[in-house]
Amino acid sequence: MQDWHDRQPIYQQLADRLAAQLLDGDPPEGQAMPSVRTLASQYLLNPLTVNRALQALGDEGLLESRRGLGLYVTPGARERLRRSERQRFLQDEWPVLRARLRRLGLGPAQLEWEDAK
Amino acid sequence: MSTLDATQERRTDHESPASSAGASSPWLVKAQNLTVRYGRKLALDDVSFTLPPGRVVGLLGHNGAGKTTLMRALVGLARPQGQLSVLGRHPVAERVALLTEACYIADVATLPRWARVSELITLMQGLHPRFSAERARALLRRTSVSPGDKVKALSKGMVAQVHLALVASIDARLMILDEPTLGLDVLSRKSFYEMLIDEWCDGQRTVLISTHQVEEIENLLSDVLMLNEGRLVLQASLEDVDRRFVALSHDADAAARIAAAHPLLRYRVQGGSAALFDGPPPDDVLALGRRVRPSLVDLFVALTRTPEMNRTQFDEVTR
Repeated sequence: MQDWHDRQPIYQQLADRLAAQLLDGDPPEGQAMPSVRTLASQYLLNPLTVNRALQALGDEGLLESRRGLGLYVTPGARERLRRSERQRFLQDEWPVLRARLRRLGLGPAQLEWEDAK
Repeated sequence: MSTLDATQERRTDHESPASSAGASSPWLVKAQNLTVRYGRKLALDDVSFTLPPGRVVGLLGHNGAGKTTLMRALVGLARPQGQLSVLGRHPVAERVALLTEACYIADVATLPRWARVSELITLMQGLHPRFSAERARALLRRTSVSPGDKVKALSKGMVAQVHLALVASIDARLMILDEPTLGLDVLSRKSFYEMLIDEWCDGQRTVLISTHQVEEIENLLSDVLMLNEGRLVLQASLEDVDRRFVALSHDADAAARIAAAHPLLRYRVQGGSAALFDGPPPDDVLALGRRVRPSLVDLFVALTRTPEMNRTQFDEVTR
């Protein structure tokens, strides 16, 4: 009943969502991740799927396990995420965006960098 | 087993989940070569599988594929040929003992029409050592059913809710649910799915559930069993399904080359076509499309629509 897409396995999509939240500091570095049961309930997913997502984040060094306490956000996780997200943007998203800008005839002069109020 | 034993066992279940359930065997259910015949028709045809603890297993099959027969066999209501052990017991010979730890909702479940909901709770309390009346009342407070309501005054969906509440209040290690969401509206189904995840997924209990609402329940499952004309065509964890089956979404001009690679199924997806493969196809075929996640429904259709082909192809898989 959640809106998952069909381009990736569910656990990968959940890992991406949780990573996006970590990038926003939720939860902050050094703090505990919500439990598997909490996440399973929140996203209505089988706990084994949630486990795989957390495992994937652990493999990327974003979460660390503290014995008997569960998973915590690794210090430095946000910077690491920001770096990999930047790289992903430049490699995957920017060429697509650039091609679209060219099709539309938009250059740097037309692009507003300050937030419009 | 006395009531006292049952209470003690329940306590240890809660306090040290790791040391309880199935210390003697890693399986809650072990079925070997189950066959059930109704006249000349084979309702189950040489079905073998195991169910470990802590899983949510979807049992999928067309009408008449043998789902209900399989579930009835698990609780001793059908007598299959072959070997079947459920919670370490023989389901027919030890049915009473089995039902203290397993519960079953039949797809044709009925409740006595004359009874009040509160009377059903009292009745269950007297019948079942692991039934919690308190929990049943708490579950029913979330619905629009009142304890004073008579069954005959309830809608079909409300009866289904009462039934679910009664069964969900049994502290069972194995729950066998045949179409439990039949007749429930979307909100009641959602609260059932929440209960399934919040309360039944405790790492110990296993739930076997048949449903036609496959899309709704797909992400709640850990495993899937697919039956086709009495035969098991797939038993796999969803993790294995993710790994093993590859779906490619592709443009129309690649269709002929995709078809030449013999996919299990070709189907339509939003904005084009897709093909489902058992195991990754060669790289030159992979390059013709974009890899997508096959849904259980697509997989089910692929494995059940051409039975003659599947029999030879999937014997290997289910062995």
